[in-house]
Amino acid sequence: MSSSAHAPAAGSHALEESKFQIYVQIAMLLAVITGIEIITVYLPFAVPILFTVLVVFSAVKFLFVIFFFMHLRWDRPFCTILFFIGLILAGGTMWALLQLFGAESSKPLSAALIETVRVVAAA
Amino acid sequence: MSNAAAGAIDHHFDPSTSTGIPNKKLLMWAFLASDCMFFGCLISTHLIYRLHPPPGVPAARQVFSIELTSFSTFILLMSSLMMALAVNAIQKGNLKSLRASLLTTIFFGCIFLGCQVYEFNNFVFEKHLTITNSILGTTFFTLTGTHGCHVAVGVFWLMLMYVRSFQPRDTTSDRRWFLRNVLHILAFIATILLAMRLTLALVRGIEATGANLGTVAHFASIYFAAILGLVVSGGLLRWFARPAGPVAFDEANAIDVEMMGLYWHFVDIVWIVIFTVVYLLEYL
Amino acid sequence: MADALAKTNFLGREEHAAAPKPFVIWRPTAKTGLISWLTTVDHKRIGFLYGISALFFFLVGGVEALLIRIQLAVPNNHVLTSTQYNEMFTMHATTMIFLAIMPLSAAFFNFIMPLQIGARDVAFPRLNAFSFWTFLAGAIIINLGWFLKSGAPDAGWFSYAPLSTRTYTPGHALDMWVMGIQLLGVASIAASLNFVITIINLRAPGMTMMRLPVFTWMTLVTAFLIILAFPAITIALVELMMDRLFGTNFFEVSNGGMPILWTHLFWVFGHPEVYILILPGMGIISEILPTFSRKALFGYPIVVFSGASIGFLGFGVWSHHMFTTGMGTMGTAAFAVTTMAIAVPTGVKIFNWIGTMWGGHLQMRTPMMFALGFIWLFMLGGFSGIMHSAAPADAQQHNSYFVVAHFHYVLIGGSLFALLAGIHYWFPLMFGRKVSEVWGKVSFWVIFVGFNVTFFPLHFVGLNGMPRRTFTYDSNMGWNQGNMVATIGAFILGIGVAIYFGVMIYTYFKGERVGRDPWDARTMEWSLPNPPPEYNFRTIPEVHARDSWWYEKHHKAEVAQEKAKHAAAESAHGGIHMPFQSIYPFIAGIGILIGAIGISIIDANPDPHVIIGRKLAVTLVGFFVLVVSVYLWALEGNEGYHLHPEDEEGHS
Repeated sequence: MSSSAHAPAAGSHALEESKFQIYVQIAMLLAVITGIEIITVYLPFAVPILFTVLVVFSAVKFLFVIFFFMHLRWDRPFCTILFFIGLILAGGTMWALLQLFGAESSKPLSAALIETVRVVAAA
Repeated sequence: MSNAAAGAIDHHFDPSTSTGIPNKKLLMWAFLASDCMFFGCLISTHLIYRLHPPPGVPAARQVFSIELTSFSTFILLMSSLMMALAVNAIQKGNLKSLRASLLTTIFFGCIFLGCQVYEFNNFVFEKHLTITNSILGTTFFTLTGTHGCHVAVGVFWLMLMYVRSFQPRDTTSDRRWFLRNVLHILAFIATILLAMRLTLALVRGIEATGANLGTVAHFASIYFAAILGLVVSGGLLRWFARPAGPVAFDEANAIDVEMMGLYWHFVDIVWIVIFTVVYLLEYL
Repeated sequence: MADALAKTNFLGREEHAAAPKPFVIWRPTAKTGLISWLTTVDHKRIGFLYGISALFFFLVGGVEALLIRIQLAVPNNHVLTSTQYNEMFTMHATTMIFLAIMPLSAAFFNFIMPLQIGARDVAFPRLNAFSFWTFLAGAIIINLGWFLKSGAPDAGWFSYAPLSTRTYTPGHALDMWVMGIQLLGVASIAASLNFVITIINLRAPGMTMMRLPVFTWMTLVTAFLIILAFPAITIALVELMMDRLFGTNFFEVSNGGMPILWTHLFWVFGHPEVYILILPGMGIISEILPTFSRKALFGYPIVVFSGASIGFLGFGVWSHHMFTTGMGTMGTAAFAVTTMAIAVPTGVKIFNWIGTMWGGHLQMRTPMMFALGFIWLFMLGGFSGIMHSAAPADAQQHNSYFVVAHFHYVLIGGSLFALLAGIHYWFPLMFGRKVSEVWGKVSFWVIFVGFNVTFFPLHFVGLNGMPRRTFTYDSNMGWNQGNMVATIGAFILGIGVAIYFGVMIYTYFKGERVGRDPWDARTMEWSLPNPPPEYNFRTIPEVHARDSWWYEKHHKAEVAQEKAKHAAAESAHGGIHMPFQSIYPFIAGIGILIGAIGISIIDANPDPHVIIGRKLAVTLVGFFVLVVSVYLWALEGNEGYHLHPEDEEGHS
């Protein structure tokens, strides 16, 4: 990939002015989402639904911060690719570890004991 | 290259590199990719140990205080906003705005740290959750403590950057500037430590005996020396920040502020994940 | 075109009349002597430092190996006690992996890679120096255990919990091992970040990613592996250290901890680590084969893509080291499948190497012999590896000498052979002298024979049930002959290594001098005088094709014109821009050494009446030195100075 002359886009000056606005608006949005998240945990819905909602909200906050505050939206795509390599690898490793430790054969013996006690108590 | 008029430098493009991305920016993004794996493994450890908690582990939702954590999450988000504004300011060459934004970022960062110190103290002494007495304590304190260390490193870096913005342009004729530099840093560190110590002590005092004049008077009498110290170091900060000659800090330094900003925002997004995964999930 | 030579906004602003002076206490300028080495930021010198250190520790690891083999030569031997034996295999593995192979690869990354992409140095020269000094600090700390009463670390190179917890290994040697590996991690990550930025951003004009030499591509993939895999072991070591120092419960079963977590986190790092060990070697082979086959690399895009695939897939196979830990059917099967999958890109590379030689005009020089040895021996290691990927078979093979045979085939037959080939290949470039063909080949054959005599029998001994990491065995197990042959082979290998080293040292001082490009090679580093001048390229070359030096040699007129134009442009810009030397990377290394030693000697249950004990004070002093030196490093700025080589005689 050879370096090429790349004049700053015309109208970037206008973009600079409105960046301040964008940042403040996003900060407000993030605060609102955080508030909604806190309320969500107290709602009387099934756990998987609430869990999904929380994960989605967190992902939305995450993406707003990296694409706007951290500027990825206006930078070269390679920066995004570089970061996402680390992110996806970390996420994948986390998922694999949780699958492994969540498997039946990975349950510690003490956990079996608690469940037995719980089952007996419920009976 | 003429003197740094606003907008003279294209902050998105460095013509001496093959990709146009400035080296320092690329370095920080690569480091953050690495740090993703770092926190990923730490968060994995915590989640793994929450899958099948052994007997005797306290119920997390009895220990956590969602109000405090929500407050500190909000504070960190606001500090992220101030950091973005700081980068924006220096890219336009606006030094005053940069310094104000950096100070606010530092201020919010310290509030976050103060909340963490308060939370840790509360968990250890009142809720009896320590780093050694249960697996929940071990993973919780290690994960949030490591994140807290990252915040502390960030605050330290921000503070150094703030002081750096006062470096005079002409250092040959102003030989004592380095000594002033060091004193400025020490004054800042003293201010932060004393302010945090005093605030936490005051909060604990109010918790113990209520929010009234008696509490404040009692607090002032015990911590008189520290309060004096805070006034002195705060005064020094004000003194060092007074207008002087031209400084060696302008648009060309924006890349360093941006690099620091990326680190600070990353610390924020890690907290977004920790808040959900460590705190909120316990309430489901 | 001028863009590449244009000044970045972010370096010094020399034209500015009232340019701010960077804060410099002392600007070292010595080009010879001890100070010049302590303050160097030149990637070639740093590469040399890595190489010398690596070769020293390689000998240390070799002695440790010979002691192991002496102990195992006959059944019921008493040359080493069981504890000493445990120390030997722990330190042999740790030394060879972290202090020999990795830094030897780093030596080549440092010296060769910037030359291959047409750069004057890496993107962050002082950070590069810091990486080396931190590596040296880590190497020192790991080996401090030898001088302790409690002996060297002896829990295996993978230090499984709970053996590595304070209950079972109370001595400080393990703490030093932990901190040493942490420092090596810091050094590796810093260096790799540097290499990634250098390869992505500092390429000569016209050097697109698909024109990069394969060695540079493998440097890039290895660097990515390092920055993404080391954090896992950083965390694992932090958790272990917290258990040892503060009594946390990460691996404390009585309080809910699970030691298997250590095993997982270690291998999440450990598996990519073995690809970190082999990919540089594969890169070196991919340079040597085309040169000595007089033919371009067969299937360049596929070789590059396979290298990247191996790197990526390498993160998904770690639990094949844990097939016998009871992960459950799904987990075991999943990792068996991914492990088999990763054999595919590896095999593809081998076919491409064969394709490179096919129809070529082969020149059997010493580097070529090592390269051919690599292909054959690495393949054998790959076969035993595939045998391991079948989990049921692995149930038999795990923890036996079959595994030992497998990884020595890929690590010695693979990595080491490639690195030894690289030393021979690039020796003329680095030192201006060529190794004698006769003696080079003698060293090759003795090493080749010795290596195979040592490790081939171990396949059989392993399948016949001999377990790893056991200091002796009974005489009625049927392992006597295999072990005796292996020990004899080990000494032959030792003699071969001694010949190799002797030849290298002799050649360095008295070897046959050669001119530029003695092998008639294909890549850019050979366009330089040997040894290369400090600034590398007189004018930054422009790249028109893959194997850019080959293109230059066959398009002389066109290239000469370009060079004249560039030389004029660069002179107009003020000459060649060079980075200043600096003492701060070295001082920061000392700080981190002291700090890490401090942490590793802190007692687990300190006297609560003493707020800051002596040992904590050592730690604090160390980290204070680190912070101050980094701060002064930052204040020093990165302005650099300018050179005008047309004023110098003798270089062109």
